[in-house]
Amino acid sequence: MKPNRKMIIVFLVPALLCYLIVFLYPSIRTFIMSFFNVAGLSDSVTTWTFAGFGNYKTIFHDRMFQQSMKNICKIWLYGGLGVMLISLVFAVGLTSGMKGFKFFRSVIYLPNVISAVAMATMWIYYVYNSDYGFFHKFLAFFGFTKASQILWTGPAHLFSSMLVAYCFGMVGYHMLIFISGIEQIPVSYHEAAKIEGANVVQRFFYITLPFLKGTVRTNIVMWTIFTVGYFVWGQMFSPDNLSNQTVAPMNYMYELVFGASSPARTVRNSGAGAAIGIVMMVMVLIAFGLTNLLVRKDDIEL
Amino acid sequence: MKKFTVLLTIFLVLALPIFAGGEKESGDSVKTVHYYSMWNEAEPQGMVLAEAAEAFEEQSGIHVEINFNGRNIRKTLEPAIQAGETIDIFDEDIERVSFTWGQFIQPLDDLAAKVYPTTNGKPYESQINSTLVKLARSFTEDGSLSVIPYQPFMFAFMYNKALFAKAGITEVPKTQEEFEEVCRKLMAVGITPVTVDDGYMCDFFGYNIDRMIGSEKTIEMANNNDFSDSSVLKFGQIWEEFSKKGYMSAKAASNIYPACQVQEMAPEKVAMNLNGTWLPNEVSTSNPNIEWGTFAYPSISPEGDGIEANNIGSQSFAINKDSKCREEAFQFIVFVTTGEYDQKLADDSNGAPMDINNTWPKVLSEAEAAFNSTTTRLPWAVGMENLAEVNAKIKENFSKLIAGSINAQEFYENMNK
Repeated sequence: MKPNRKMIIVFLVPALLCYLIVFLYPSIRTFIMSFFNVAGLSDSVTTWTFAGFGNYKTIFHDRMFQQSMKNICKIWLYGGLGVMLISLVFAVGLTSGMKGFKFFRSVIYLPNVISAVAMATMWIYYVYNSDYGFFHKFLAFFGFTKASQILWTGPAHLFSSMLVAYCFGMVGYHMLIFISGIEQIPVSYHEAAKIEGANVVQRFFYITLPFLKGTVRTNIVMWTIFTVGYFVWGQMFSPDNLSNQTVAPMNYMYELVFGASSPARTVRNSGAGAAIGIVMMVMVLIAFGLTNLLVRKDDIEL
Repeated sequence: MKKFTVLLTIFLVLALPIFAGGEKESGDSVKTVHYYSMWNEAEPQGMVLAEAAEAFEEQSGIHVEINFNGRNIRKTLEPAIQAGETIDIFDEDIERVSFTWGQFIQPLDDLAAKVYPTTNGKPYESQINSTLVKLARSFTEDGSLSVIPYQPFMFAFMYNKALFAKAGITEVPKTQEEFEEVCRKLMAVGITPVTVDDGYMCDFFGYNIDRMIGSEKTIEMANNNDFSDSSVLKFGQIWEEFSKKGYMSAKAASNIYPACQVQEMAPEKVAMNLNGTWLPNEVSTSNPNIEWGTFAYPSISPEGDGIEANNIGSQSFAINKDSKCREEAFQFIVFVTTGEYDQKLADDSNGAPMDINNTWPKVLSEAEAAFNSTTTRLPWAVGMENLAEVNAKIKENFSKLIAGSINAQEFYENMNK
């Protein structure tokens, strides 16, 4: 059947228009805005004054922004290691032929489906509560009295509590990506290795892992994108105003652009907010480029 | 024919978005006032305003179209106005309306000088809380009245009268020594005296410093991010000691807003909380039976402010400078800030009335006295929330001080890093 070019154009035009209006135009506007002093996000362009790289200098010298960058670096590194390891273990376990594969896959993925706001509320008001929370009761039941009195949302543990809660919801997503990668590995390789006497661990390191390079790269890129866009959990763990332990660049950007909840702060700085957005975009591009460089995709020989 | 079909298909596909989206210019007659509200429809204030709009329409024939934004109005109002949406009235905190949205408001002195059906035959301005009118005027360069305050509030200690009675406390504290004595008596009967959460730690710190060195130096400290003054060390010493004695709830170190009011004040585990006079309303859904009292933050040092200095403020209405029904919009504002509906708004929301002839609800009777005896108005958190970095630093170190993981000296050093 010959492709009908006119019909292709007709059906592509709405999608293209949506992309241009909803995605590309705001991206270009944000990029331009980052070089101007802009108060309100929807202020007329006539009120903008050129600032050059002033907004970028401002944010890189801003301690709140510096703290937010430290936080997402820690989230990326520690959270990433934990999530990748756990999701890989789950993926390998579930694809080893165990019973109840579909059930366990759904259960592990479920936290990712539930709204982050609902999940964070559950963690803060139930799991971490120092009076009636799950951790408190569980630890007290087994006699760990001192541990049961830990203030999980206190200053010493606020960041790690938030990280654990966030990673809990992310494991399922990355597990599914690993599962799809594992399922593409030809079974004949594992069979041949079994015949030759390789055990489970050897098969994992010499067959599964090498074949998963592309999948690992995908997971790292997705994890980086999610980390850069980290917002809801920071908001939920510090709902009223920013905290050093929970602030991420998106949280700070949100406050700069839309104003703080405190009525004391009535000044907004959308130019600086836009600069943060551009910096985040550049970080994702760098991470994508580095990942492609370091984790090369090998062609599978069949 | 084929070309026509293709062109028609292209046209229909591109024309579809034209019929999408909400209304922009409604083309309503002058008799409809569009009110962009800060309240949620289910909130007591939202319900009373909806009822008031119906009653207002019956009496005046003017329809009020209310768009209940909730606190999201902080993000949505400006884009809506700049996109040309018809908005006649909007409201929010008095400072946010006066400063953040100052470019959208207009002077209302001429309208405020008139007499209305609910103003007892007198000019409107003379029938509403004069302290707040004065505050509103102070926010404009020319002293004009460009916002109409309502739902007045005060930031003070809100306390549980029943718990005070159980501890044998008959008078509220006015000095630091009396405050400490109150804490001691509460502890003696097993009641935790004070709590706070991360939403109000800066206010707590700000008030303490204000009572030690006065508001001018406190605000300067906050704006310059300079905490080298010895009052910061003294704050650390006071609250290190009070935390060790159990006067400050241990949970306060881990309270994420609104935990202190929901998990400690509502179940009546703690007696006092430095908060706004909106607290009884916010806690009423969890526990409507608490007998509330109010007292201003006690004085600490003769070099600081006393109980006459407090953060007072309000929400406020403003009229869009491009509104085509300015007078009708103001009539609705008068209708809900005087007379029957001002009283209903106060009663149903456990809030304060604007009309000087109306009565404050019983839960705020002590708040009324404290409000009326305030002669110096402090800004929100006495400036300690002005800078994000300062705000975060106070929260982190105050939490650590309460938890006992740092002492007063370390608190002072951390605040100066």
